[in-house]
Amino acid sequence: MNPSPQIPDWLGVAASVLLVGIAVVASSWARLGLTRDLVWAALRAFVQLLAVGALLTILFDRAGLLGALAWVTGMVVIAGFVAAGRSPELPRRRPTAWVGVGAGVATTLGVLLVLGVIEPTPSVVVPVGGMVVSGSMTATNLTMRRLADIAHQQRPDIEARLALGMTGGEAMTPHLRQGVKTALLPAIDSTKVVGLIALPGAMTGLILAGVEPIVAIRYQIVVMYMLLAAAAVSAIVAAHLTRRALFDDADRLYRVTPPA
Amino acid sequence: MALAEAFSFDDVALVKDGHRILDGVSDHIHKGATTAIIGTSGSGKSTFLRLLNRFEEPTEGKIRLDGRPLDSYDVHALRRRVSLVAQRPTMLTPSVGQEVRVACPTLSDAEVLQLLKRVALPDMALDRATSTLSGGEQQRLALARSLAVGPEVLLLDEPTSALDEHSAAAVDAVIRSLVTEDLTVVLVSHDLDRVVELADKVLVLENGRLVERGGPRDVRYLR
Repeated sequence: MNPSPQIPDWLGVAASVLLVGIAVVASSWARLGLTRDLVWAALRAFVQLLAVGALLTILFDRAGLLGALAWVTGMVVIAGFVAAGRSPELPRRRPTAWVGVGAGVATTLGVLLVLGVIEPTPSVVVPVGGMVVSGSMTATNLTMRRLADIAHQQRPDIEARLALGMTGGEAMTPHLRQGVKTALLPAIDSTKVVGLIALPGAMTGLILAGVEPIVAIRYQIVVMYMLLAAAAVSAIVAAHLTRRALFDDADRLYRVTPPA
Repeated sequence: MALAEAFSFDDVALVKDGHRILDGVSDHIHKGATTAIIGTSGSGKSTFLRLLNRFEEPTEGKIRLDGRPLDSYDVHALRRRVSLVAQRPTMLTPSVGQEVRVACPTLSDAEVLQLLKRVALPDMALDRATSTLSGGEQQRLALARSLAVGPEVLLLDEPTSALDEHSAAAVDAVIRSLVTEDLTVVLVSHDLDRVVELADKVLVLENGRLVERGGPRDVRYLR
């Protein structure tokens, strides 16, 4: 297959507005009351992607590797806010989420760059970094959420262990494993069924850009392994930091009440 | 002969979320004796007990153990020395043997069986699933688990209140046998008959304040 990208021109994009129209008509017909949300979401997506496209064009042309890494760092900061926002009751949740996401991203991107698996150019580092940040954010978010629930629901179990002289770390060990496992299941499951249920994003993008599928899968394999590693590192780091944040200096478990 | 002091309290108060849960508590708990903390619901009894193993920290005043401030001890060593048994037993492991060993994994089978005998579970198989035990058996197993760490002080927070009459009687019998040992026992209870029978000294709390103290036959609250 020769590279012959079938990328829609602006006229094509304008024609695709028809699809939003179909969604709006269908929702009005079904009286879902979602017309405003649909139109607003479509508008937001257009404006956001336009802005990101313009920014990335400038970034790819001028920023170099340092600029790309700064961009990825910005994504880590935003991802940390999002992950921490799901567990508002946890102490020190934002630093935990930033370090958790950051550790997963730094480890995986670092290995890929040092081993020369990916090119150290912005047009590679930024999209690959985006995928890693997203995977790390999900794992961090799930780990923190699960541990917040455990700290609330399993309080009698944890206090029974503390009352026997165990440290906070020892009292939480069985629950930490459970929390990390829960956080890693989505990454493991999507790795297991990759290519069977849906063609994954990186591979789809390359095929759309005209790359042979047998070549595109090489990239996808790297991406899947990278996402597994990112999720594992982020979940483990976030679990340990959450565990430390849940106890005070006399190893008393903070009272955490999940948001209503 | 006067008994030695285990714990002493000097004007202890605990304020949480703007509420004064304990206020101006000054007294002492004798070594080798059984002290009962009684009072109406919400009087601060359980919080008082949780101060003794540092699950709570006083916001004012000082608590001492053997004359030393409680916060000067290593907190994990303190909790092995001053062991709290909660109101509702929580099983931490799948089997009876694992449960007794949860904080002392090096105990031999003979030591585990000896501990089970102390809590009147002499014929319990070590591989029996903890989930199949009755509430009373679970509470006695929780006691054995606490005794395994070799405490000098046992803190019992309403140990029979979540149990039916038959199970409560079995746990009661074990507590009776434990208080005859060299242990210091601090017991929170709403069962006044049990308090009269078991306690050497009674502290009565009301709205977080210590309003009466004395022998179980002396305090007006029990008359």
